[in-house]
Amino acid sequence: MAYLRVGGLIALAIAGALTLSTAVPPPASAADNTIVFGAALAATGANAREGALTKEGYDFWQDYVNSHGGIKVAGKAYKVNIEYADDESKPQTAALLVEKLVNEDHVNFILGPYGSANTATAAAVAERLKVPMVEGNGAAASIFNQGYKYTFAVLAPGYKYLQGILEMAQMLKPQPKTVAISTANDTFSVEVGQGAAQYAAAHGMTVVYNNKYPADTTDVSAVVSGIKAANPDIILNGGHLDEALLLQRTLKEQDVNAKIFGYSVGPDTPDYRKTLGKDANWVFGGTQWSPTAKYKGAPGFIGDSKVYAAEFNKKYGHIPEYHNAESTAACLAFQYAIEKADSLDPQKVRDALHALDVVTFYGILKFDDRGLNVYKPMAVNQIQNGNLMTVWPRGVQNAQPAFPTPAWSARS
Amino acid sequence: MQLFWQSLVNGILVGGIFAVVALGFSLVWGIMNIINLAHGSFVMLGAYTAYVLFSTWHVDPFLSLPVAFVLLYGFGYCIQRFVINFVVRAPILTTFLLTFGLSLLIVNVVLLIFHGDTKGITTQYSGTNFSIGGVTVGWVKVWTLLVALAITALMQAFLTRTKTGRAIRATAMDVDAAQLSGVRVAHLYAVVFGLGAGLAGAAGVLISLSYSLQPSMGDPFVITGFVVCVLGGLGSVQGALLGGLVYGVIEALGSQYIGTGLQDAVALVVLLIVLIFRPRGLLGKATAS
Repeated sequence: MAYLRVGGLIALAIAGALTLSTAVPPPASAADNTIVFGAALAATGANAREGALTKEGYDFWQDYVNSHGGIKVAGKAYKVNIEYADDESKPQTAALLVEKLVNEDHVNFILGPYGSANTATAAAVAERLKVPMVEGNGAAASIFNQGYKYTFAVLAPGYKYLQGILEMAQMLKPQPKTVAISTANDTFSVEVGQGAAQYAAAHGMTVVYNNKYPADTTDVSAVVSGIKAANPDIILNGGHLDEALLLQRTLKEQDVNAKIFGYSVGPDTPDYRKTLGKDANWVFGGTQWSPTAKYKGAPGFIGDSKVYAAEFNKKYGHIPEYHNAESTAACLAFQYAIEKADSLDPQKVRDALHALDVVTFYGILKFDDRGLNVYKPMAVNQIQNGNLMTVWPRGVQNAQPAFPTPAWSARS
Repeated sequence: MQLFWQSLVNGILVGGIFAVVALGFSLVWGIMNIINLAHGSFVMLGAYTAYVLFSTWHVDPFLSLPVAFVLLYGFGYCIQRFVINFVVRAPILTTFLLTFGLSLLIVNVVLLIFHGDTKGITTQYSGTNFSIGGVTVGWVKVWTLLVALAITALMQAFLTRTKTGRAIRATAMDVDAAQLSGVRVAHLYAVVFGLGAGLAGAAGVLISLSYSLQPSMGDPFVITGFVVCVLGGLGSVQGALLGGLVYGVIEALGSQYIGTGLQDAVALVVLLIVLIFRPRGLLGKATAS
């Protein structure tokens, strides 16, 4: 009995303490000159690898800022600290953890989780708690059609993924006129395909083939035969790495020729080039960022992609992928917004994020009313002689687009 | 019209692979009444065998086919003899669970060793093709189909001409009678399961020539094996072959003319129709029940 009573008392005391701590506004962690960011990020589960890449991107920024004098707010320099919690790749867990990070760990701001699904649930919590969240790893525009005011994405939304390639195509001579689009049947890929179809139609190109296939398909020969019959100038695919490989192989096998082959996902990854060898040459890919991109970033952080890539490589032993870069960019949005707000007040920082307009090594950071970075163009990469080159947009490219793609029979 | 012929040829070519996938699945199901949910992971192991041999020693995948068959045969034999054998006469749900668990285990071990990165095999002759009357055909797919046909023929010869083959068929007809006639059922079951795994491995090698590799690549092929078996009729070599080709052609034509997004749906509707009008499948025979 005595134990029970003691136990009960302790429980009461804990409950009391908890109520107190939630009742009191978050104590400014700023007291010890540190701005604390919270991130629910996959360390285990299906997205563990991408989660790790995201963390590298975040950590890189944290270390850079701390070793370069921190962030200045109201004349005082603050260090930054990122608190991580493992969301196990599960959307529900991400939401719970964001709530815990804010209510119990009293973080000042939230950095996004990995993936559209987890970002969507985290965004709902950030909205309810009125804490700004900037994310770099959830590109589905559907997250941003909820009327949220506290979530911002630094990446270009899904529907823009293939638009860069079409934009580039308009500038090429002889100008390609017809487009074939195939997409995997999942939310994100369908958004990619629709975006491309709308853009093509609005810019005087004809969509001669537009079709979906099951997301886990093992055979795309029907799609390829259909594309061949439509005889397009441009062949676009919105899908995943597996099908991008399968499609490119089947296109060769059925001897389908076009002036441009473009993919939303695939050409960026080393796996694509390694697997296809020289059959990967000439292929275009939409990308959020590439190490060869030539933006001139604002002061306060590394402004040059090449330097970023080199420094990153020194620290982590690999060239940064776009996952790394967009995660670092999410932190940068906070850095510039906090400095501009000159305050750690969540509302003021949110307003500063909303008004943000700054160029970084990653590209422009500027959000529309929904919090989407629709201003950032998708860069276009092309595999030329086994190397990934950035060929679009003009000010950013480090190579001219190689065009038109020769027929399969004319390739060496 | 050209599109029709192209689709028809696509279907037949992919049907050959389906047939080999289904052959092993059909054997195990028809003779031991085990629906082997780990079949897809055996396919994946076959593909990775080809990948390892190709990337390490540049062994042509067609040459690594026998290697994969033998390795997977041994693996399958041991799994049946030392794992599944304990529950072989248990209700079907037990073997379901067991093979599902095995599949998870195998896929995750491969994930641990090779990571989730997508891999592929690109040979000198990958993508080379020829055209007849406007229909373009990849050489790899043609060779794959021929090898698939050869494997089916060999399997048929094994089951009808050899002593072990006859014992297998006898066991499928009546386990007790076979046992009384001196057939060592435990050993025989292991041989059958080994053959099933070996055939899956061979199919995996053929698949590796056209498709991308990652640890969960085998999953869709369990469904394929299942559908083809039901379509063609259980436990017969001809049934698997015919079922595979029919399934391939239906899928190709269906996705071309009805909608690529409905690829799976079309094939499954045909399966339903076959089940309604010919529940034993196109070439169905009496099987273990």
